Amino acid sequence: MDKPVQQKHWGVSYGEMVWREFAKSRFTLCWLGFIVFLFFLAIFAPFLANDKPFVIRIEGQLRLPLFRDLNATDFSIFLAAIIGLIQLLLIGRNRKRIDPSIRSGVLWRQIFINVFILITGIMLLYSFIPRRLDATDYKSMVASGKATGAIFAPVPYGFGRTDLKVREQPPNSQHWLGTDDVGSDVLCRIIHGSRISLSVGFVAVGISSIIGIFIGSILGYSGGKADFLGMRLVEIMMAVPVFFLILTIIAYYPRSLFNIMLIIGLTTWTEDARFVRAEFFKLRRQDFVQAAISLGLPLRSILFRHMLPNAIAPVLVNASFGIAGAIFIEAALSFLGFGVAPPTPSWGQILSLGVSTTGRFLWWLTVFPGLAIFFTVLAYNLVGEALRDAIDPRLREAL
Amino acid sequence: MKNDSALLIVKGLHVSFFTEKGIAHAVQDVGFSVKKGQTFALVGESGCGKSVTALSIMRLIPEPPGKIEAGEILFRDRNLLALPEYQMRAIRGNHIAMIFQEPMTSLNPVYTIGEQIIEAIQLHQKKTEEQAWELAIETLQKVGIPEPRQRISEYPHQMSGGMRQRVMIAMAISCKPEMLIADEPTTALDVTIQAQILDLLDELQRQSQMSILLITHDLGIVEERASDVAVMYASKIAELAGCKDLFEKPFHPYTQGLLKSMPHLGFTEKRLNTIPGIVPDPLHFPSGCKFHPRCYLGCNDKRCRTIEPELREVALERKVACWYAPGYEKPDDPKL
Amino acid sequence: MTTYIIRRLLLMIPTLLGITIVVFAISRAAPGDPVSLGMGPGGMMDAQRAQDVRVARMRLYGLDKPVHIQYATWLWRVVRLDFGDSIKHHREVIDLIKERLPITLTLNIISFIIIYAVSIPMGILSAVGRKKFLDRASSVMLLMLWSLPSMWVGQMLIGYLCGPPLNWFPPAGLSSNDAGTFPFFPWLADRLWHLVLPVFCLTYAGFAYLTKQVRAGMLDNLRADYVRTARAKGLSNWAVIFRHAFRNSVIPVITIMATLLPAMFGGSVIIERIFSISGMGLLAFEAVTTRDYNVVMGIATIAGFLNLCGLLLADLAYAMVDPRISFEAAE
Repeated sequence: MDKPVQQKHWGVSYGEMVWREFAKSRFTLCWLGFIVFLFFLAIFAPFLANDKPFVIRIEGQLRLPLFRDLNATDFSIFLAAIIGLIQLLLIGRNRKRIDPSIRSGVLWRQIFINVFILITGIMLLYSFIPRRLDATDYKSMVASGKATGAIFAPVPYGFGRTDLKVREQPPNSQHWLGTDDVGSDVLCRIIHGSRISLSVGFVAVGISSIIGIFIGSILGYSGGKADFLGMRLVEIMMAVPVFFLILTIIAYYPRSLFNIMLIIGLTTWTEDARFVRAEFFKLRRQDFVQAAISLGLPLRSILFRHMLPNAIAPVLVNASFGIAGAIFIEAALSFLGFGVAPPTPSWGQILSLGVSTTGRFLWWLTVFPGLAIFFTVLAYNLVGEALRDAIDPRLREAL
Repeated sequence: MKNDSALLIVKGLHVSFFTEKGIAHAVQDVGFSVKKGQTFALVGESGCGKSVTALSIMRLIPEPPGKIEAGEILFRDRNLLALPEYQMRAIRGNHIAMIFQEPMTSLNPVYTIGEQIIEAIQLHQKKTEEQAWELAIETLQKVGIPEPRQRISEYPHQMSGGMRQRVMIAMAISCKPEMLIADEPTTALDVTIQAQILDLLDELQRQSQMSILLITHDLGIVEERASDVAVMYASKIAELAGCKDLFEKPFHPYTQGLLKSMPHLGFTEKRLNTIPGIVPDPLHFPSGCKFHPRCYLGCNDKRCRTIEPELREVALERKVACWYAPGYEKPDDPKL
Repeated sequence: MTTYIIRRLLLMIPTLLGITIVVFAISRAAPGDPVSLGMGPGGMMDAQRAQDVRVARMRLYGLDKPVHIQYATWLWRVVRLDFGDSIKHHREVIDLIKERLPITLTLNIISFIIIYAVSIPMGILSAVGRKKFLDRASSVMLLMLWSLPSMWVGQMLIGYLCGPPLNWFPPAGLSSNDAGTFPFFPWLADRLWHLVLPVFCLTYAGFAYLTKQVRAGMLDNLRADYVRTARAKGLSNWAVIFRHAFRNSVIPVITIMATLLPAMFGGSVIIERIFSISGMGLLAFEAVTTRDYNVVMGIATIAGFLNLCGLLLADLAYAMVDPRISFEAAE
């Protein structure tokens, strides 16, 4: 195991410098807080908006319908959140206890182990937690007196529940943000929709970043013929009308959330690839790279251990913008009818109902999901820009 | 006998920068004069305020965050600091020209060097395009660029560092200024090219009686080329003297330290001499004499630590700001 | 320079081929085919008859041959600009495209011009202005504008400006129903009235992006050493800003052109859908929905070609504007 060294005066690490610069603006921190709030919504969605009560007393017996109804997806999300928190805490501990020269190695190992735990955990959860369908109408049980002592979630509606009696209602005391064309509560669908948006954002950007880094580093390092051919490929990807391509693919293949994430990731990697390639071009001439080559280090070591950490800054910045872009694409796809299949809620899908089939303008189905998309995209864009400013002006210090 | 009249007189210049971290007093109470046809050197380490002084003469200090708070800069009896901007523009490039340290970034990469020189010419002189073109070619020849008629259509990135600096000089002298401010003109160049550029400047000076204000951190180039020197430290002038006097007998301990740290022929010791410590942060100057923490004379002296010595004339054409300088103390000085 | 252009044009060919292969592969690799879709559940006819019809139809559209043959035959025809017939509309694809392309092009070109005409002065002005607070605020406002989802903006505009009580703009289409009877100028005015909202939706995002780029570029360049040299020569502030700083800021702005064009095509799909404008975007959307292979391939090829032209133009402009880029050393 790594020996934690007593922290002598280690200088400020790159990450700390960037964070400090980033944290100077309270405005940006607010928006970062908003993103955290969105995560909170996504993780705790089933507790915030659910038509099953936390507890209910039926025939004298205490039941916990909400907890029993949690499915594998919910538990996977909890697991991911816990692991994410653990990782953050570990990073804090690393900073205090571990020598900077081995810190990044330790960090990568931790991330690797965590991702492994996460994936195994998800697979286990999906295999062992049965799909339940609890269609009991707890509310009517309370109303008719068959059950007592029920505690409901703050928004006591499920996103799959349809109730055609109350369709297309503007906001009222029962449904704070109104209902959609099949009677589902809009607020509930917006809360659950955050899961879709956030997951699409992260997974799609993860995929596109990995592909982009991989291709960019190989192209940037090789130069010459390989680079020439590779750039033709990149040009093809750039010239194809991306949105149209996504549309085509989505239309032809079965609609699933993962497909959407995969497709967005597969079509938006070109920018990352170009950034990394440009950085690698610059780095290739530098002395430390020449030294690594002359020492006979294996190619993957040179690329990923020596050059990549220096080239990664623009990718990180672009990642935030990429998340915003992915969320927007998912919303646009759902708006056009190509997104996730109902009843899974998606902000874009709610937005598409804003103009009813009869041509009426249903403002609550336009304004609220639109605001959700807008604020989310804006938050990631603002954070991305603050990140870019935090990384760049470091070099502008010299007056 | 003063038959060379002073071309430029700087008096009591105060320049400050207002930053997020505080107020940096970059230049405090700086004064000197440059005579016609002579080279005046302003020497000091990075951050001592010499570049800021030069930019102030041209009034090129960016107004936020910088500000020229006080002083007079008399150029042929006109106070440059009091001139309206449009009159100052008529002086820049025309009567006083400036060349900078980094020739690569100091030239606009998207215009040919010819276009950039002609821009200066046509701004200040009434010449037709053809005349301006010819003048530009002539100037390029004067600064020693071979085949000027071809090279005039080249772009900066097509030339070497030494050539670019020559182009900068050509741009500067094209309107025959009375004074040239050279801000570290050779720092970014190879040593051999350095000598060439400095010789070129000498030659130009001899031809046109142009005064040169030479800003540098390199005492070595000063010794042969300047007639008067001012040594700056931490926003103030530490010592001002004729070149020969300064090198023969430096009064200020800082100057002494600088001279001692220069290796010279016949130097046999194993280690180079240094001045201990580092240049102070302009936001947090030490109390009293700004040099005292690094001074072999004043680091333990209470007076040096608390009272700042002003610049005083201790001999003919010699000024120092040091309590220990010979001839410095006056009878009514405080003694601690 | 002409050799450069010829070389780039030649390079476009393999890229174009690549695009067609990609789109062809995707459309053929997916489950389902237009004939089955067109036939529906086929519950009317008995099974054998349905099968016969299906086989006949497949042969009619050439869908029964192996994939690479299909691709080769298709490619051969494309070179002569024959994209086949639309299975849905029963017309030649090239005719459909010829009808719809000008509309989309008009929309995009108008937006393009507006974006560049407004962004550049705005960007310069906001870089030259001094107040620090205004700086930050305008930067954030531009980012907000850029983050607005276009379908939301479109729908909100329709909802609030097109219906009662305001009725400022028409909610759909490019001309009013009886526009055919108008003389020229009223017809033009009617056209423009219809164009305002869609063009706005296409424009605002690009405007925000470009203004930010110009502003950032100007801020960077105004701090550059050569600007200091220019001032030291005695140039006036305006000359410094325009002749020196701006001339250098133009370079990245041109490269943006290359990315702006493909993005606008995607945006067209959404905008044309919302405003019911029958342009290429709407055609593409319908074709994808109905698995109209020929139309999909046709649009993908034409759009890809136009995008490549845009890329080529941008590269050319870039090489012309920045003397550091010589024509021999591409990229």
